[in-house]
Amino acid sequence: MATTSLSKAEKSYIQAGLLATPPQRIDGRDLFDFRTVALETGVAPLSNGSARLNIGKDPQDGGGGTGVIAATKLEVENVEEDGTDGGRLVCSVTCSPAAYPHLSPGALDDLQQDMTTILHQTLSHPSLHPANLGILPRKKAWLLNLDVVVLSDAGNVYDALFMAARAALYDTKVPRTRLVEMHSTKIAQKSWNTTDGMDVDQSAPSGLDTRQAPPAQDFDLVDYWDEGEELDGRTRWPVSITLNIVSSSYFLDGNLQEEAAVPLRILLVFSFLDVNAPTVQATRMLGSGEIQLDQIKSLLSDGQKYAWEIFSSLTAKLKDEDVRRTLKDRERFVTRQ
Amino acid sequence: MASSRIEVLNQGGYRSDGRKQHELRSIAIDLAPQGVADGAATITHGLTTVLVSVFGPREAKLRSQTLHDRATISVEVGVAAFSTGERRKRSKGDKRLLELASTIKATFEPVIQTALYPRSQIDIYLHVLEQDGSLLQTCINGTTLALINAGIPLLDFVCAVSGGVHVASPLLDLNQLEENDVPHLTLALMPKTKKITLVTMETRLHVERFEEIFRLAARAAEVIHQEMRAAIRIKANTLVASMGSTRATVDGTDRDGNHMDED
Repeated sequence: MATTSLSKAEKSYIQAGLLATPPQRIDGRDLFDFRTVALETGVAPLSNGSARLNIGKDPQDGGGGTGVIAATKLEVENVEEDGTDGGRLVCSVTCSPAAYPHLSPGALDDLQQDMTTILHQTLSHPSLHPANLGILPRKKAWLLNLDVVVLSDAGNVYDALFMAARAALYDTKVPRTRLVEMHSTKIAQKSWNTTDGMDVDQSAPSGLDTRQAPPAQDFDLVDYWDEGEELDGRTRWPVSITLNIVSSSYFLDGNLQEEAAVPLRILLVFSFLDVNAPTVQATRMLGSGEIQLDQIKSLLSDGQKYAWEIFSSLTAKLKDEDVRRTLKDRERFVTRQ
Repeated sequence: MASSRIEVLNQGGYRSDGRKQHELRSIAIDLAPQGVADGAATITHGLTTVLVSVFGPREAKLRSQTLHDRATISVEVGVAAFSTGERRKRSKGDKRLLELASTIKATFEPVIQTALYPRSQIDIYLHVLEQDGSLLQTCINGTTLALINAGIPLLDFVCAVSGGVHVASPLLDLNQLEENDVPHLTLALMPKTKKITLVTMETRLHVERFEEIFRLAARAAEVIHQEMRAAIRIKANTLVASMGSTRATVDGTDRDGNHMDED
C-alpha cells in the first residue's frame, strides 16, 4: 500500500539510517518517538460526538501532518426492518483526494475500503458493544454511525484513525429517552372496575404464549440541560500501534517516506481495562514482507507497552477536553436568559 | 428540519438567527497549509465550513486531458457525512455534487490565467465539513483564497454572496432555514472590475425584485472582499517577515493599486 513512490537509492538510504548504530531517522527522531499529536473534541456541531486529530503538525505555520476528523451520528432504527436489537455501530472512512493527490479515483476507493474494513471490524466487535444503544427492546434501537475523514496523510494514518475514532466515541452523547406506554380503553375500563374490588383479571398472560410483547410501545426524548448521557463503555475503545519492521528492529510513527521504505508494517490494536488487563482487538500485517514467529511475541509485548502509553495519555487528554467542554456548557446554562 | 412556521423576518426587522436584513454572518478564514497541498484555505461563513486544497499547476495524470495552449482545471467536491442535520452519505458521482463542482469550475475558468501554464493541470479539491446554507458562496470564496494561497495567478479575487427576497425585503447571506423558505440567488463578483462571473438562481423571483437584490449582493460581495483581502495580507506579511526581508511590508507596497497576491 505504498502511496509514495520512492527510488531505490532513497529507500536504501532510509533503511541504512534506521539500521545504523545509533539509528538515525530523517527527521531526527528516536526510533520510538512519536510526532506531536494534537486533539480537539466537539468540532462538528451537528454530530453527537466529534474529534479532530493531527499527528506531526508543523508548529511554525500550523500545516502538514496527518489530519483526521471523526464524528458520530445517532439514528433511530426499526429493529424489525434492518436494525439489530440493542443497536449497532457502523464505521466508514472517507479519504479526501487532497490527502492522496497522486492516486486515481479507483485506487482511492480501494484504500478507503481497506481502512473502513479494519476500523469497522475492530470497533463493531461484540466485546466493545455499548450497552445503552437500545431504546425499545425488539422494536427500536440506535444506529451509531462513525464517519472518519482523512484530510491529509503524512504517514501513520491507521494510528490516527483509531485515536480519532476513540476520541469521537468518547465524546458521544446518547440522547435520553423515556418509554411511553399506551393503554387501550379496555384496560382503562378494567382498572376502573378494580376500585370496586369486583374485578377478576381475565387477561392474564397465557403460559403457552412465549412471545410476550414488551409493554412500552414508543419512546419520547427527554428534555434536559445536556445533550444526553455518555456512551456506555467509553473507556474501552481501543487504540492502535503500528510497528514498522526493518529486518530485526522496528520503529514507531513512520512518515510517508519511511513507510514506503519498510517492507512490513504490523498493526496491533489494544484495549485496556487497566494496565494489567490488555486485550488484543485486532492485528494486521501490512506490506509484502515476512517475519519470524518468535519475533512476533516480543513485538506484541513491546507494542502493548507503547499502546498503553498512547491509551493513557489519550484518556488524560480526553478527560481534559470533557471538563473544558462540560464546564462551558454548564456556564452557558447558568447564564442563560 | 425546516419547521414550516419559523418567521424568516420578524416585525422588529430581525431574522431567525438574530441578524438584521443586510447583515452577513461572521467569517473565519484559516490559510494554514494542509498536508502536501500547494495552497489551502478553510473558510467559515456562520456555520458553513469548507476546506479547499489546491494542487498545481502540475503535470496532468492523463496526458490525453491536457490542452496545448493552457492549463486545465479540475474541481472535485466531497461532503462529510456528518455535515448536515440528517446523516446522508453522498457518493462521488452524486449529481448535486457534480453540478456544484462544474459551477465552481465555470466560475474560475475565466479568472485563472491558465494561458501561462500550457499542458498542465490545476486540481481544486473541496471538502464540505459543515453545512448551514450558502454552500456555493462558501465554496467559491474558499477556492479564491486557496488559489491565491497556492500562488496561482488570478485576474482578480472572486467574491461570492447569496441573497434572497422575503415578501418584499431583501436578505443577505442566507442560512439553511432561510434558504429552504425564500427565493434565493448566488452571485460572484470580481471587485476590481466589478464584473460578474456567476449568477445562479434555482427558485423563482419576481423580475422587479431581482435588480434590488442583485445590486445589494454586489455591494455585499465587496464587503466580503475586504475580509478576504485582510486575511491574505496577514498571511503575506507573515511570509515576508519569515523570509527576513528588509523590504517594506505588504501594506506599504500595495498603495499603488497592485495586488501582491499573485507572487
